[in-house]
Amino acid sequence: MSKPKIAIFDFACCEGCQLQIVNLEEELLDLLGGADVVEWREAMSEKCDEYDIAIIEGSITRLEDEERLKLIRSRAKILIALGACATIGGINKLKNNFDDLDEVKKCVYGKDANKPHLATQPTKAVDEVVQVDAYVHGCPIDRKEFTYIMRCLLMGKEPEIPEYPVCVECKAKGNPCLWEYGQVCLGPIIRAGCGARCPSNGFRCFGCRGYIDNPNVDAAKDVIDKFGLNIDDLKTKMVLFGSRQEPTIHG
Amino acid sequence: MSVKKIAKKDFVEFVETLIRKERVFGVQAKGDRFDFAPLESAQDLRLDYDVTLQPPKKFFQPPAEVLMTFEVGGGYQSQYDDEPFVLLGVHPYDMVAINQMDELFSQDNYDTHYMTRRNNATIVACDVAKPSENVFASSMGTAVVKSGYDVLLTDIGDSYVCEAATEKGEKLMAAAKKAVPADDAALKSREAVWAKNKKGLNRHELKCDPAYLPKLLAKAYKHPVWEERAKTCFSCGSCNQVCPTCYCFNVQDDVNWDMKTGKRERAWDGCLLDGFTKVAGEHEFRKQRADRFRHRIYRKGMYVPEKIGGQIACVGCGRCVAACLPDIANPVAVYNRLIDDLGIG
Ligand code: SF4
Ligand code: SF4
Ligand code: SF4
Ligand code: SF4
Ligand code: SF4
Repeated sequence: MSKPKIAIFDFACCEGCQLQIVNLEEELLDLLGGADVVEWREAMSEKCDEYDIAIIEGSITRLEDEERLKLIRSRAKILIALGACATIGGINKLKNNFDDLDEVKKCVYGKDANKPHLATQPTKAVDEVVQVDAYVHGCPIDRKEFTYIMRCLLMGKEPEIPEYPVCVECKAKGNPCLWEYGQVCLGPIIRAGCGARCPSNGFRCFGCRGYIDNPNVDAAKDVIDKFGLNIDDLKTKMVLFGSRQEPTIHG
Repeated sequence: MSVKKIAKKDFVEFVETLIRKERVFGVQAKGDRFDFAPLESAQDLRLDYDVTLQPPKKFFQPPAEVLMTFEVGGGYQSQYDDEPFVLLGVHPYDMVAINQMDELFSQDNYDTHYMTRRNNATIVACDVAKPSENVFASSMGTAVVKSGYDVLLTDIGDSYVCEAATEKGEKLMAAAKKAVPADDAALKSREAVWAKNKKGLNRHELKCDPAYLPKLLAKAYKHPVWEERAKTCFSCGSCNQVCPTCYCFNVQDDVNWDMKTGKRERAWDGCLLDGFTKVAGEHEFRKQRADRFRHRIYRKGMYVPEKIGGQIACVGCGRCVAACLPDIANPVAVYNRLIDDLGIG
């Protein structure tokens, strides 16, 4: 049996997630033992149009990127969304909060705003354009989770990604809850899998792994009241990774 | 078995010698809270704590553990953690919870992983010196404990009364050279602590005898309280995670890169979590938040008691009350609401 071919593509992102793969060190060799990486701009110069697994990093912000992504999808047997930009649109979705994208461009690029390569459209996550077979959540991704997912896929097994929120992992680590120390932590509505990375280091969860399937935003409103906070405190915390992603807080 | 008395400063010395000989975990400060952690200095031991963030169950059923390593399609090798250890400072309600877990893990399918750790433990319990904000052990009859521990300590001011209840406990206390047989005055002081705690660990007061709870729940399945409370439930499972009597787990296999060998792990699960009841074919039989919320209360007040001779599987530690952000998890609030509506008897 020949080894499955993997190709890695990047769209709008900081390439921080690819960097996590580069940083796998000895496990990278294990991965390369189980599969052939045939295209990877960050680590090699060859290009190839034949692959079994396509790993997509970054979000989709231009029409031509949508076309490119659809072509990749048509060639790949399995398509993986890598990192928050790809799985939920990530930070790039911030711009979707503005109705006038030309204004956004002017603000970001100044007088270069009208150059053709800067043409833009509202940001989309990968699954808003093509079907996604596996998600590697996080900004950046968790290396251990990435290698686990790759092993599962190479074995033809569906990886088990937590459906429960960050609080589960936070409590398993014995952390006191940051809400009691005045922080607006998004842990109860955000998908676990990072090992509660932020709360374990004293920082609130800002939601980089995206919402759980069924988040209870009404409960969040009650909790805001209980701690004497304002609904805007919660809204501003949700905007970084939750922009124009359901659910939005109304009122 | 023997009951002794030891001055507090001599006790510190005794713990110091213990640390040098054994693997010791004890209650220590963690920021402005408390938790069980490896004890490096006797000075760090805080027997005056109110409640620990996590219950001591993690020493017997860790949040995640490897059960075995295996070869795909071949044999397997069970993995055990069998190093003896001493656990210092378990409160009575937590001791009652451990006693219940011992029964559950040793009946039906004897759980060798749990029991190996349990049999390797020497437990030093201690009576509560400072009630926590949400404790209701007095309501649950768990404010004092009569069995399960190897040693029981009671703070009586300038010294501890220490009762060795097992061979292991006697052996442990033999190293406390300065301990003397407890006199009548010391025993009386201990009785006074017990009498005080039997009433005083009661920040939430249950309006019935806990023994009545299974009967109460038998008529409460369709009550509106489940919907009402679960409306603001995050399904975050915090109430499960911090509970000394929640023991559900999930088992998962992970295959190594060679695709030939792997390990089987189990990790804490929780009945409040979305997806907890998912079975083969993606069928989920407790999909609604209210069903899962009700299930936890029924587990504590009816289902588990049926397995362990009627003992109520909520020991009143109050941890779920503190951990639940929307303030809905308090079992006493639920039970009292049901009593108000349905009456007793
Ligand atoms: S998810 Fe975060 S780290 Fe990864 S590419 Fe996007 S911005 Fe960078
Ligand atoms: S700190 Fe955040 S993640 Fe941790 S328990 Fe509190 S809300 Fe949940
Ligand atoms: S705690 Fe929240 S923000 Fe931090 S890594 Fe995990 S999901 Fe992302
Ligand atoms: S249900 Fe709550 S109060 Fe009762 S034992 Fe569990 S955590 Fe403690
Ligand atoms: S009852 Fe409270 S702690 Fe339990 S799952 Fe619901 S919100 Fe979380």
